[in-house]
Parts: sequence; structure tokens; C-alpha cells
Amino acid sequence: MDDIEATIIQNKHIVSNYYTLKLRLSGSMGRVLPGQFVMLKIPGNEVFLRRPFSVYAYSNNTLTLMYRVVGKGTEILSKCPKNERTLVLGPLGNAFRIRKTDKYIVVAGGIGIAGVHTLIKRLGKKASIFYGCTNKEELSLINDMLHLNPMVSTLDGSCGFEGNVIALLGSYIESTKGEDRQIFVCGPAGMARNLRKLIEKDRTPCQVLVEERMACGLGLCFGCVIKTIDEKEPYKRACKEGPVFDLWEILL
Amino acid sequence: MGNLTVEFFEKTLRNPVMNASGTLGYGKEIEPLWGIETLGTYVTKGLSAKPHHGNPTPRVWEERNGMINSIGLQNIGVERFFDEYFPYFKKRKTPVIVNFFGFTEEEYLACAAKVKPDPFIVALEINLSCPNIKKGGISFGKEPGAVFEIVKHVKSVTKLPLIAKLTPEVRNIAEIAQAAHEGGADGLTLINTMPAAVVDVKSRNIPIKGGLSGPILKPIALRAVYECSKAVPIPIIGAGGIMNTEDAISFFMAGARAIQIGTATFVDPYAIPKIIRGIDEYLDAHGCSGIGDIVGIARDQ
Ligand SMILES: Cc1cc2nc3c(=O)[nH]c(=O)nc-3n(C[C@H](O)[C@H](O)[C@H](O)COP(=O)(O)OP(=O)(O)OC[C@H]3O[C@@H](n4cnc5c(N)ncnc54)[C@H](O)[C@@H]3O)c2cc1C
Ligand SMILES: Cc1cc2nc3c(=O)[nH]c(=O)nc-3n(C[C@H](O)[C@H](O)[C@H](O)COP(=O)(O)O)c2cc1C
Ligand code: FES
Repeated sequence: MDDIEATIIQNKHIVSNYYTLKLRLSGSMGRVLPGQFVMLKIPGNEVFLRRPFSVYAYSNNTLTLMYRVVGKGTEILSKCPKNERTLVLGPLGNAFRIRKTDKYIVVAGGIGIAGVHTLIKRLGKKASIFYGCTNKEELSLINDMLHLNPMVSTLDGSCGFEGNVIALLGSYIESTKGEDRQIFVCGPAGMARNLRKLIEKDRTPCQVLVEERMACGLGLCFGCVIKTIDEKEPYKRACKEGPVFDLWEILL
Repeated sequence: MGNLTVEFFEKTLRNPVMNASGTLGYGKEIEPLWGIETLGTYVTKGLSAKPHHGNPTPRVWEERNGMINSIGLQNIGVERFFDEYFPYFKKRKTPVIVNFFGFTEEEYLACAAKVKPDPFIVALEINLSCPNIKKGGISFGKEPGAVFEIVKHVKSVTKLPLIAKLTPEVRNIAEIAQAAHEGGADGLTLINTMPAAVVDVKSRNIPIKGGLSGPILKPIALRAVYECSKAVPIPIIGAGGIMNTEDAISFFMAGARAIQIGTATFVDPYAIPKIIRGIDEYLDAHGCSGIGDIVGIARDQ
């Protein structure tokens, strides 16, 4: 892991407030595992701390991030031109742990797709993909995985199942009852909570990528904690012990 | 290469640069980037007699030129620190300053008493910013009488040198410095974070109240270093918003004999090694034989 100088080679608007950012790194990040993230220095002086982003793709010193504009930093980022210089600290955090099983289920909501993108690439056809977003337009975020036949839901019903993705997942969970499964999830906190209710009875093995406000991304400040069932030490750092946690070990 | 070593409480430190308490985890976390032996001494995360869970999230918030934290002093407790982490510092020949706190005087004393002198412990650093729960939450460090008392009592339970870390949230910091000195403090760290809050206009609430740190603190910290170093003869460690070599040098010139770097590490994880190198280069370029050549020179002008 290192703090690596990088140059923006593409900052592309996809749809509504979603963008992809391609960076050419001046050196190698080494091996990057699914679920890991980077701390990105937003160019300019207006943003004090760095921002965490999942590695959407990485190869040959080229890093791709997919981001959603939500506040000051991502707003500024969305306006950053090509050739702008920045810094990338990473790869950080613990990855998804893939164990041998019959069925892998990957569930993503909205920008959560960025967090599981490398995982989906790794699992390929072995994974059943569930993707939930607000409308048909946002489905362009998963254009590169249509060949994997993802099951989709839209909140406005403009494409696929109408409603949230956990409701859609419900019938699949029912139909694969008794099979050995492993679930991976990344999306809004409410999504993980609903998923938890859905699989509470069977306690299906499930890992979740959580998002917390971070200052350092390195485990230095204890700012990014998430509450867990560990009574002795309930607060675990999302950047250090996470961002991937066992769903059954955290309190959502 | 110049000479960066400094004498601190009869120990020779490699350089006068430390991390600020609570900003370098338990020490090991930075190892993927640089070795802990880079530091003059490592300052522990605030430790207490018993472990503390800390506050719920959000714990950090960004401000223009700074940040606010309300970690709530989460720590594994002083005993576990010495079992699990201290041997590692000894192995790496890196001395340690033990930052500690309590919410009652008994807790302060219990924690201080648990730290046994060791060649690799430079000093205890007492965090005086904690609310005194027995006195209705007024901070230990805000009143000269209370500072004098707590420092004196801690001194009676330890043989280690004691550094008092002061809060800037006082009317007259030099007066507090004097009280600490009279109570028996062997050094001062100036300053801790400043109480602050943010309003989230979108959600119309106050998502975080906590301590403000970063560049926004620098002028406040410099003033404290300047005034206290005139008021008391004990060594002063400057902290607050040091982001680069020039900031660091300004603290020495104001009267600090060592410095601590906190928030800068979050912005640039290499800030500490860069600043150490920068100080070295500065001393070389100005023909100084050591940091002593510039300590207090701006103050004494
Ligand atoms: C491990 C991890 C991976 C992430 N991966 C992605 C990704 O691939 N794509 C993407 O679009 N977003 C991702 N996020 C969320 C992203 O970090 C925030 O959306 C972003 O920091 C918001 O910054 P801002 O300046 O625009 O928002 P502001 O609200 O102006 O930011 C102010 C502060 O809030 C923090 N913050 C705000 N929203 C979030 C959030 N949802 N999660 C964590 N911190 C937040 C910021 O980091 C910053 O410290 C990830 C978060 C984490 C923790
Ligand atoms: C995340 C964080 C945690 C901190 N924890 C402690 C602590 O445990 N004990 C303490 O005395 N000061 C603590 N501080 C204060 C710092 O040690 C330092 O005094 C302050 O941040 C000012 O320096 P800076 O601007 O370089 O960060 C903490 C600061 C931050 C940002
Ligand atoms: S962001 Fe600092 S510990 Fe996780």
C-alpha cells in the first residue's frame, strides 16, 4: 500500500448523478482484492480530508472508480478535467472472503454496485446478481454485466421488478432453500437491514460492505467505526477491520 | 544531515517530532507506509484505567481547514496497551509517551499508577480536557486550582516525568500553565482540540459536537506556546494544525522544544516523515547545530 500520484485520464458522466473516473497511477498499487477501497485526494484546496471510494476496476496501473455526486467533494470531483493530478492511497481495508459453495448471490443497490463490481468480475457466471435502483436509466450502471443476466428491480417499476431489490431477492431465497449459499451485499444501510430480516431464520452466510465517514482510512483515528456484537470491543473500524463485515457480527 | 536529536527528561530522542495523541492509532497501523522508529517518540492514543467504548457515529466531520472529532476516547485500556503493544515499541527502539485520562480523579490516578517506569517510557502526558463527572462535567483543565491539584496528585503516584496537556478553552492559558508547573508538571503539551459543532443545513440538525483540529487551530496554538513558554521554565511541546515544515518551524520559533503532528497525517499519511526531513533541511540550510538554535527566537525578538 502506498500514496500514489495519479492523473485523471477520464471523468465520464454516466447517468443522473453517476460518474466513472479513470486514473493513471504513477506506480503500481499491487494486488487489489474485491471490496477494497482507496482514499482519494480531491484535486484543489477546497476539500480538506480525502474521500473513500471502492475500487471499481484496476489493472496495469489504471484505476477506475464509479461515484455518485452527493456533496461538496463529489461535486468538485465531477468537474475535474482530464490531466488533473491527484493522490490515491490504497488499496485499503479487508476484502470479501469467498468460500467454496454452490451458490454465490451478489446484491447491490444504487452506487453499491461500485463496491461489488470487482467481486462480480471475479465470480463471473458463478454468481446470481441482484441489482436495485430507482429507475430504468440507472440500469446503464450495469451495462457491462448484462451477459450475466442480473435480476433487476426499479423503485418506479420502469424496468424489471417494481419495488426494492430485497423484495425481489425474497422469492429467489425461497426457491433455493436448503442449498449452500453465500451472499455479498453493498448498498444503502436500509437494504442490509431488510436483507437481514429476510435471511434471519436461516442465518445464511452473508458479508456486507459498509460505508462510514472516514478521516484517515488507515485505522489511525477511530472515526469510522461500526457497532458489532462483540461486547468487549463493540466498535470496529470500517477502514481497518472492515469495510467488509460478516452481516451476523454487526449491529445495523 | 544536521543534528535533530533532542534531550527530553534525560533521554535522548532521535528528533523533536511526535504524533499527537489519538492520531496514529496504536502505532502499528502506520507501518505499511513508514516505520514507527521515524518518530522522536510515539505518543499513545489516550489510555484509561479501564477500556472505553467511545461514542456512536458520526465521529468525524470535515470543516473548512480542519475537522471535528468526537471519538469519545475509545481505547483498550492501559493494561492491554502494555501487554499487546508496548513490547513492539521496545523492539523497534522507539520510546513512548503515555497519554492518559479519566473522568474522575481516581481514574486518573489509577491509570497513572499502572504505568511502570521503563527505559522506553519518556513521560506520562495527562489529558486535562476531560469533563470531571463528579464536578458536574466541568473540565479538569479549565481552572488553575483544579489543574494544580490533579497534577500534584498524579505526581505522587508516579516516578515518571509528567507532561500536562492543556485545553485552549480557557481565559488565560499562561495561568493554567503556571498552575501545572507549580503542581509539579515537568513539561506541557499545547494544545488539545477546541470544542466545536456543525449544523447540517440539509437535515437541519447538529450531527456532531466535538473537538476541532487541523490548520484552523494553528494560530491559537502558536499564541499558547508563545505565552506559556514565557510564563514557565519547563519544556513545551507544540501541537495544533501543523501541516508542513514551515508550520513546524514556526512552533519552535514561538518557544516549543518539540512538536506533535495530528490531523496532518489524515490528509497526507507521510506528513510526519516529510516534516522531519524538512526540519533537518531547514537547520542545515541555516547553519544551525540543532533545534536549540531556533527555539524561542521569534518570541524573544
Ligand atoms: C469503504 C467505502 C467505499 C465507498 N465507495 C464508494 C464508491 O465506490 N462510490 C461512491 O460514489 N461512493 C462511495 N463511498 C461513499 C463516498 O465516500 C461518499 O459518497 C463521499 O465521501 C461523499 O463525499 P462528498 O464530499 O461528496 O460528501 P459530503 O457530504 O460533502 O462529505 C462530507 C463528509 O462526509 C463523508 N461522507 C458523506 N457521505 C458518505 C458516505 N455515504 N459514506 C462515507 N462517508 C460519507 C465524506 O467522506 C466526508 O468526510 C464509499 C464509502 C466508503 C466508506
Ligand atoms: C481523531 C483524534 C483523536 C484524538 N484523541 C486524543 C486523545 O486521545 N488524547 C488527547 O490528549 N488528544 C487527542 N486528540 C487531540 C490531538 O492530540 C491534538 O492535540 C489536536 O488534534 C491538535 O493537533 P492537530 O491539529 O495537529 O491535529 C485527538 C485528535 C484527533 C483529531
Ligand atoms: S477512518 Fe480513521 S480509523 Fe477509519
